[in-house]
Amino acid sequence: MIQYFLNRLLQAIPVLLGVIIITFVLMYIIPGDPVVSMVGERYSEETVQRLRQELHLDDPLPLQFLRYVGNVLQGNFGNSFITGEPVAALIIEKFPNTMMLAITAMFFAILIGLTAGIMSSVRPGSFMDRGIMVLALAGISAPVFWVGLILVLVVGVMLQWLPPTGFGGIEYLILPALTLGLRSAAYLARLTRATMLDVLSHDYIRTARSKGLPEWKVFIKHAFPNTLIPVITIIGTDFGSYLSGAVLTESIFGWPGIGRLALEAIMKRDFPVIQGTVLFMAIMFVLMNVLVDLLYGVVDPRIRLERSGK
Amino acid sequence: MTIAYSADIRGFDPAFATDLRTGKIISLVYDNLVRFDADMNLAPAIAHSWSVNNTGRIYTFNIRNNVRFHDGTSLTINDITKSFHRILDPQTSSPQTWLLERITGAKDFMTGKADHVRGLQITNDSSLVVELDEAFAPFIQYLAMPAAAIINSNGIESLSTVPAGSGPWRLETWARDGELLFSRNKDYWDTPPITDNLRIRILSEVMTQSAEFETGSLDILEVPQGEIEYWRQYNYDQIEVEELNIWYIGMNCSRPPFDDLRLRQAMNYSIDREKIIHILLNGSAALANGPVPPQLLSEVTELRYEYNPSRAIQLLQEAGFGNSLQTEIYVAGGSGMFHVLEALQSDWAAVGITVEIKRSDWNVFKTAVREGKPDLYYLDWFADYPDGENFLYPLFYSTESMKNRNRFSDPDIDAIIIKIQRLPNNAERQRLIADANKLIVDAAPWVFLWHSKTIYLTQQWIKGFQPSPIFNANRYMNISKMAQE
Repeated sequence: MIQYFLNRLLQAIPVLLGVIIITFVLMYIIPGDPVVSMVGERYSEETVQRLRQELHLDDPLPLQFLRYVGNVLQGNFGNSFITGEPVAALIIEKFPNTMMLAITAMFFAILIGLTAGIMSSVRPGSFMDRGIMVLALAGISAPVFWVGLILVLVVGVMLQWLPPTGFGGIEYLILPALTLGLRSAAYLARLTRATMLDVLSHDYIRTARSKGLPEWKVFIKHAFPNTLIPVITIIGTDFGSYLSGAVLTESIFGWPGIGRLALEAIMKRDFPVIQGTVLFMAIMFVLMNVLVDLLYGVVDPRIRLERSGK
Repeated sequence: MTIAYSADIRGFDPAFATDLRTGKIISLVYDNLVRFDADMNLAPAIAHSWSVNNTGRIYTFNIRNNVRFHDGTSLTINDITKSFHRILDPQTSSPQTWLLERITGAKDFMTGKADHVRGLQITNDSSLVVELDEAFAPFIQYLAMPAAAIINSNGIESLSTVPAGSGPWRLETWARDGELLFSRNKDYWDTPPITDNLRIRILSEVMTQSAEFETGSLDILEVPQGEIEYWRQYNYDQIEVEELNIWYIGMNCSRPPFDDLRLRQAMNYSIDREKIIHILLNGSAALANGPVPPQLLSEVTELRYEYNPSRAIQLLQEAGFGNSLQTEIYVAGGSGMFHVLEALQSDWAAVGITVEIKRSDWNVFKTAVREGKPDLYYLDWFADYPDGENFLYPLFYSTESMKNRNRFSDPDIDAIIIKIQRLPNNAERQRLIADANKLIVDAAPWVFLWHSKTIYLTQQWIKGFQPSPIFNANRYMNISKMAQE
């Protein structure tokens, strides 16, 4: 198991290297000069030259690249062009916020999505099933910013149950987490229903029923565990994307997370922060994928057996 | 008290306060030698008085001895000279050196030829003499700008995140992209702010700000352009401020086709600005008769370019363009003014000028303007300090315009601008500002659009909010908050 885990991590190295190269090259291809964001409206040409020199922007690209990779290997992600702060510190400052939002959003997604999916599959074609599936379709189709704004308007402004936006205690967390989680919930509901219906048609379910087991036990104990592989895949990839920041949700709710850090950096051409956040997002994705693979082994004994057999 | 900004600030280092938002915040936590009051007059701050000698070159500042920084240390005259040296020091890499470059010996210090600035002289522990290379009237106003703030010498290391000033508000916490929280500085040398704290939330979405105001979480709302109509139906206290700014279209004057005066005038005649202001801007702007805002002029400038499409067509015929002219206008994507540009586009099309709109993000846009790429670009200018000179030199003086803007150059106008910079503030200077303004209108290097107004709404429990047209005079000192209903 540990061997397998380490192998997967080693495989991630070329992926991350690719990410570094691509972001690095892209940044120097896109038009726009970072110094423009720094100097304001009145400046002298000397100031611009001095800043460019100081930031090593005039060095040949391969040299800049090697310097960057060298620094990253030593754990140094550079300093923000704008504020001079270490990029790592900025990411560490934002990450707990992003993490909190991601976990809560995923909690809502799993709670709502799995419950709705299982309920739907109990009586396919029933009124409840159709109702849930229409809602799920709406949930997948509705753009995130729209859902966010509607929640702000209805729950925050009209009903005044929760503060519309902001950052702080748990009351501020619910609306952005719902906004972010609802789409995954909708997707999970559809997926769970489809997989459940497939599983329920298998012989072992008939066997379980013929043993005289109560219907809820058939669902929860025999059918549901067999739907977990696709469900975990979706949860894993969605969670990975939550962890790399949710720009729209964060902007609507004024939530200070990784997504907005990256967006602001892109607007200001703050190269070190862009590089740092993109690399961080890539690491999050890779880690989540490895984790999902490991979880497959936990929920499906056959996968474990195959590996130990090798 | 809680207000909102649409984006976060850069930090608390005055040396890098190049944008309006950061400048506003710097003015809350720092003091300068002088400042602007709500009516845009120069007022004493750390200097309780000052004088200028009759050559206009030598300023003497008398320094208060009861000013303390937030960490409790006294502000001394050494802090002042150190702060100024720091801005000029090449090690700092401040883009704001232009504020202090005219002090005698500043250039020598900046190039390493001298270890200090000769023109900054401490005569005793309560007076500072500043000598300039030559008379330069705006200098005293420069000293009220964010980059001329006085910094606590003990706090320079961490300036980007922790302010080291003596201003009326102390920073409590800064959650980046979340909020800034300040508490009143009880030990302020002047009357401290009335409310205990000031919270500035960073809310990038217009609708989010409105939602927070509607639920009472924001005490003051700066109404976004698009929502003016919406808020009219409500009964909030409304304050309208005519800000010191100009919105314009720069035309590249140094190459065809816009090197032709007739074409540039036709561009001005062909647009119906009043209609745009009325319909698209919901009346939140005043027609611009020239670059200098009316508040900074001693006389009224008459309207030179009324909406007159037939005059425009005639000028285009005279210049030989017929109706086949095709060109592009550059605009920064975030300006939220796309609908305005489309209206302008159709007005120009009506007289035979086809204008394609090229939209890019702010950084790309500014780089293109600096490099002189666009024939036309849509931009605004907000005052650094309340003086007509600030709408002339940085925008129209040949070297400035040729390097950074729309490549306009006129030696007569240059000569007047230099005179304006040298003269003390008197009737002659006022007349010269009006003259320069008129000459620029005649030369039409821009399409002059409008001066925008900002509309603020306040909750009924907020009293004493009097926004000033100049950004760094808004220090939220006299606002009181009654019990919220």
